[in-house]
Amino acid sequence: MNTTVEVLGLTREAAWLPWAVQYFFLVGISTGAFFLSLPGLVWRSASWAGVSRRALLAALVCGLTAPVALLADLHQPGRFLNFYLHPNLQSWMAWGSFFIPLYVGGLLLYAWLCMRPQLARLAGQDGIGARTAAIYRVLAYGGHDNRVAVGVAAVIAALGALLILVYTGMEVMVVEARPLWNTPLVPLLFAVTAFAGAAGLTGLFEAATGHRGAAPLLNRCLARSQWAVLGLLALWWASGLTGVSSSAAQALDSMNGSPGWWLTGAWLAGTTLLALWLSSRRSQSLVLVSLLALHGAWLLRWIVFMGGQGLPKMGAAFRGYALTVTPDSLLGIVGTAGLFLTVYIVLTSFLSWEEPAAA
Amino acid sequence: MKAELQPSRRIFLSLLPAVTAGLAAPAVSAAPKQAAHWGMLIDTRRCIGCQACTMACSMENALPEGQFRTTAATYCVTTSEGRSGVAMVPRLCNHCEDAPCIPVCPVGATYKREDGIVLVDAERCVGCAYCTQACPYEARFINHDTGKADKCTFCSHRVDAGLLPACVETCVGGSRVFGDLNDPASEISKRLLAAEGKTSVLKKEAGTKPNVFYIGLDKELSGRVAGPSAAEMMWRPAQHGA
Repeated sequence: MNTTVEVLGLTREAAWLPWAVQYFFLVGISTGAFFLSLPGLVWRSASWAGVSRRALLAALVCGLTAPVALLADLHQPGRFLNFYLHPNLQSWMAWGSFFIPLYVGGLLLYAWLCMRPQLARLAGQDGIGARTAAIYRVLAYGGHDNRVAVGVAAVIAALGALLILVYTGMEVMVVEARPLWNTPLVPLLFAVTAFAGAAGLTGLFEAATGHRGAAPLLNRCLARSQWAVLGLLALWWASGLTGVSSSAAQALDSMNGSPGWWLTGAWLAGTTLLALWLSSRRSQSLVLVSLLALHGAWLLRWIVFMGGQGLPKMGAAFRGYALTVTPDSLLGIVGTAGLFLTVYIVLTSFLSWEEPAAA
Repeated sequence: MKAELQPSRRIFLSLLPAVTAGLAAPAVSAAPKQAAHWGMLIDTRRCIGCQACTMACSMENALPEGQFRTTAATYCVTTSEGRSGVAMVPRLCNHCEDAPCIPVCPVGATYKREDGIVLVDAERCVGCAYCTQACPYEARFINHDTGKADKCTFCSHRVDAGLLPACVETCVGGSRVFGDLNDPASEISKRLLAAEGKTSVLKKEAGTKPNVFYIGLDKELSGRVAGPSAAEMMWRPAQHGA
């Protein structure tokens, strides 16, 4: 057995920057939140009415912010045109460029159809200016509560959301060169944490609007999602340890010499367990458990993308990613958060999300 | 008198490129009977780790500071008997037959020429870096100047002009041999034949069928290397934008 020391080598810096983490995080949460909006807004379940409304807000805020993060990762946003001018349909990323507008378009149509009655009511509200009332009136387009149209739009958005979940997972899973990514558990982990994050963001919006009555409902969703996350993580680990999955085994092998990786793994497992405990035992808890769920969804993506790119494909050296105060690093994350906040402020200023959805 | 000299000077200058191209052509057998299929053979026993190839490539292709299309990694290997030695592994794009970077490109910017060279159409590339993720050899990167995918081209601009890639031309120990794999008379074909199958490729298990072959490559160094890295001695370019 030889002992080898790498004296001189070259590691490549991360090519997918924190923008990518932000995109996968936001678009995943948007799709999860969209599905949480269905019970109250499409099936008109009374117990879900308020929660679904806040979930729709979460879906819209994240759904409108996410594509901007994706465009920013292209270095020059105008390049996105090439996705449509020269699509290579062997690539999951190429398919993604068609799924994103399908989903966002379907989501906007669905949200508008759900909001039409409220827009009509706002148009007739006392105390608003004539110009504002006219805008509400135009947007309401009669203000009908057309359940069939809402259902059709929901089907379109649901198809888009499912395709988004599939393509974001598959895009990462098919990369054989990165053992950490090359596992069928990645799409499932992305989907489950997307739902957990969506429930978390909806929970935060519930808390922000003072509607804590839905806490038990959201905590039930969160508890199930945390169980699923832990189960999938355990499955991945077991498949690597036993050698059932060669890619998982390779990934574990390459992490072996890094205390940072073990600490990160322990942190992810610990915070997920804490979220599970809180959601199971403290059914009225809302803010902390919601933050933990969002943290878990974001951390998993950070580990997969930024951590995964730090594992060497060739040679021996890790290439850890360090946040810097630059537009493609920390400022990018802050910028995305700023856009998120802006969209939230615009939507909550223009529309009321506190009242139940039943029209 | 001056006016009479001008035409002959013009003729001389116009003929000069043709003469130089003609002289250079035999070096790479630029006119094979069968369509050329370019490949490279790296004899690691001859590599002295001088990084002349690294520098020649950087100069020839005007690469941004800290970004490289080829490097010669250096390892200190100690056997179980306690004998130590230095091993070099020059690395570059393998111009794989089944290149995993090609199908993932969402806009079809990465393509393989008929002569086997894998190239990136910079006009079409969107800089999404999916190809850099898919490459098992860390051969690709996003060029800091262009924001687009970059990699070794086998110096296709030189090869098309009948010249050798810059790294081959500059290799001090003659470690790198470039040529037409379809031409039995080419130097690379003769050397591969002489090696009697004792050549290897990087990460054979990846199934990408590389067109860069190695002589004297330790299997333990053909992919991810299990062992420490002398990080303090490593070239670590500052993070882009920092």
